[in-house]
Amino acid sequence: MRRSPEIVRGLLVAVVGLAVTAVVAAALLALGGHSPGATFAALIAGAFGSWDRFVSFTLVRATPLLFTGLAVALAFRAHVWNIGAEGQLYAGALAGVAVALLLPTSAPLLLLPITLVAAAAAGALWAAGPAAMRTRFGVGEVITTLLLNFVALFLAQFLVQGPLQEPRRIFNQTDSIPEAAHLPALLPGTRLHVGFALAVAVALALWLYLARTPGGLRLRTVGASPRAARVSGRFRATPVVWAAFLTSGAIAGLAGWVQIAGVTHRMYEGLSPGWGYTAIAVALLARLNPLAVVVTAIVFGALSAGGGAMQRDAGVPEAWVRGIEALVILAVLATDRCWQLLAARGEGG
Amino acid sequence: MSPGEIHGLIGENGAGKTTLARILGGLAAPDSGKVRIGGRAVELSGARQARALGVAMVHQHFSLVPSFTGLENIALLDPGAWNRRGAAARGYRERVEARARELRLAVELDQPVGGLGVGARQRIEVLKALMPDPRVLLLDEPTAVLAPQEVDGLLAVLRRVADAGGAVVLVAHKLDEVLAVATRVTVLRRGRRVLTTEVASTSAPQLAEAMVGSKVAGPATSSRWRGAPLEATPVARLAGVHARRDGRQALRGVALEVRRGEIVGIAGVDGNGQRTLAAVLAGVQRPDEGEAELPPEVGWIPQDRTEEGLVGGFTITENVALALHGRSALRSGPWLDWRGVGEAALGVMREMEVQAEGAEMAAGALSGGNQQRVVVGREFLRSGSFLVAESPTRGLDVKAAAAVRARIRELAAGGDEAPGIVLISTDLDEVLELADRTLVLVRGRLVEMAPGDRTHRAIGRAMLGADRAGGDDW
Repeated sequence: MRRSPEIVRGLLVAVVGLAVTAVVAAALLALGGHSPGATFAALIAGAFGSWDRFVSFTLVRATPLLFTGLAVALAFRAHVWNIGAEGQLYAGALAGVAVALLLPTSAPLLLLPITLVAAAAAGALWAAGPAAMRTRFGVGEVITTLLLNFVALFLAQFLVQGPLQEPRRIFNQTDSIPEAAHLPALLPGTRLHVGFALAVAVALALWLYLARTPGGLRLRTVGASPRAARVSGRFRATPVVWAAFLTSGAIAGLAGWVQIAGVTHRMYEGLSPGWGYTAIAVALLARLNPLAVVVTAIVFGALSAGGGAMQRDAGVPEAWVRGIEALVILAVLATDRCWQLLAARGEGG
Repeated sequence: MSPGEIHGLIGENGAGKTTLARILGGLAAPDSGKVRIGGRAVELSGARQARALGVAMVHQHFSLVPSFTGLENIALLDPGAWNRRGAAARGYRERVEARARELRLAVELDQPVGGLGVGARQRIEVLKALMPDPRVLLLDEPTAVLAPQEVDGLLAVLRRVADAGGAVVLVAHKLDEVLAVATRVTVLRRGRRVLTTEVASTSAPQLAEAMVGSKVAGPATSSRWRGAPLEATPVARLAGVHARRDGRQALRGVALEVRRGEIVGIAGVDGNGQRTLAAVLAGVQRPDEGEAELPPEVGWIPQDRTEEGLVGGFTITENVALALHGRSALRSGPWLDWRGVGEAALGVMREMEVQAEGAEMAAGALSGGNQQRVVVGREFLRSGSFLVAESPTRGLDVKAAAAVRARIRELAAGGDEAPGIVLISTDLDEVLELADRTLVLVRGRLVEMAPGDRTHRAIGRAMLGADRAGGDDW
């Protein structure tokens, strides 16, 4: 139950944070011998320059960040520190591709739902190990989820070089998935696929769940205080923790498969440029609010889409974009902290 | 206090022992009054300054860095451990070992302290405090976590410190330890000094009486039970209940029957199984052995309102929802009926006269008294047949505490509809004021006091049998 001042504050912090980012980035770009004006112009044109740039690039690139960001936000709300969205993403991608390639059906109404379910199930399964280790033995999930990322990554490498490799065996990638497994376009004539709408729907559902349902209240309580859950809420935290792990893993699993079904149409090595990790920033900047994750995911999608254009049109290496992403995080966090300090001083004096 | 003196500071929970120790240790400032050290009035602005003036403190909760070794922990705050360039001073280790030998303290210097037992950690804590050779050594309930042999060892060290001319202040609530080691003793009760005397000229019963007061219980105040007979069927019943907490036996064969309209008071020194008994009565913990027959819904006012009774980051409405979210009347389809919960929250606030800007205010922003009113009012919502109130006035000021007690009394006076109430409290006055009958929880066992024995003295004696019980706090 958020109140309006909270939203106003979030927006103001975001605007001031982005302004600070722009100033600092401009200074650094100038020091690096690049023209800040031309760089920003290329970045913005690349991300928002036209309807098609915005829809086909920014929103398409925001989609996997939105899924993984939501996965992280949900888990963190329950104080489940799932750092493993990256691995769960790969698990989902592999499961979806495997089902799409191996299942002998070509009916889209059948194949697509099955692949989506398979991807979500695989993501959840990838999170189940850490969930069991935490709830049974008290092993911290930061370590287990993180380490399983590498297991998933290497498993993916093995599969695209081995059992799932394309028949020609030239590239480390799978065969194209059948058309029946493609996610249809969301807006005709653009590259934006239904996966984006699905991600927004998940965001809406999570928000409603957290704010409006008894289960959401329980999850938030476990995140805030497991002892209050037991004593005041009279429920056990363990099933809630399990649910948070599994749902988070399932959503992250969707990220991988949706990217394939909507964009690449095949699985290959290095499918994700680290979406599962960027997701942590996406979720934290959104203060773990699912609706705000939609906004922050689009911001990071825009940076990613604009980065390519920046390199092409302004001759600024794309690595700068990673630096700008980091600056966004630092600036917004710093702004937020300053805001808190100012508010505290205002109340105190 | 004079050099060579061991001064025992005793009193019940909340009597002000820790506050007084913190003032002398420089951790809290007095609202009025002065601290004099060596004849000079000083204003202590922090632990560092207190240490510089020769006051060293051993805290109730250890202040050691778990990943550091014993030697590193000892060196941390000792200026003598470092040379001018900030490197470890030569020969420091030998000095520490020499001091340990002198005090006959067996300390492990090379293991990370996090892996040591509490007794070993405390010996390091004590040695750390004694390294600069302080004039005054303060120990805040140092024996609470120790096994009996370890207690004897610690007391022997304190005696050696005093023999060497140091002054020792020992904060405790266990009488026999104070009597064993102290030369003088001060009894605090509700923030006032009620007695200071030479140990040689006092006795355990006299001190116990000073601790709990000598007022005789007034007539039981609650409810209809005075005339009308109680229902035959208890609303809650425990028989032969054994239960553990953190692997330790916390309850040993507890039997209890509670009927509608009565307040059953359970007195006892903290750490004798209170927390476990409350959890069992609330239906949150199942007994390992024995039977617990409980109504489907139980009100439970937990002793720790900030960690257990409330979620500070939640609004008042959300905190009320915590108790009501399972009720089908407050759901429509998958949704929680926030409007209904909001009305319930406003009802709680009206009923309990909660001072707040509205039901959407964060519970953490309320004062302690108002927080407790929210908890009490919310738990009354599920106290249709049974309520467990666990130290319901702990940490509240006099006015807020009186308000909470009045509500509990009103609840019990509610005629045929009144629930059965169990009041678990370490405040003996509170138990005697509210309860219709009184039991004492001692080392996990419940002892019923005969009606004629409802006096401070008799109950205090029963409570003190509990001195060496293991703690069961969370």
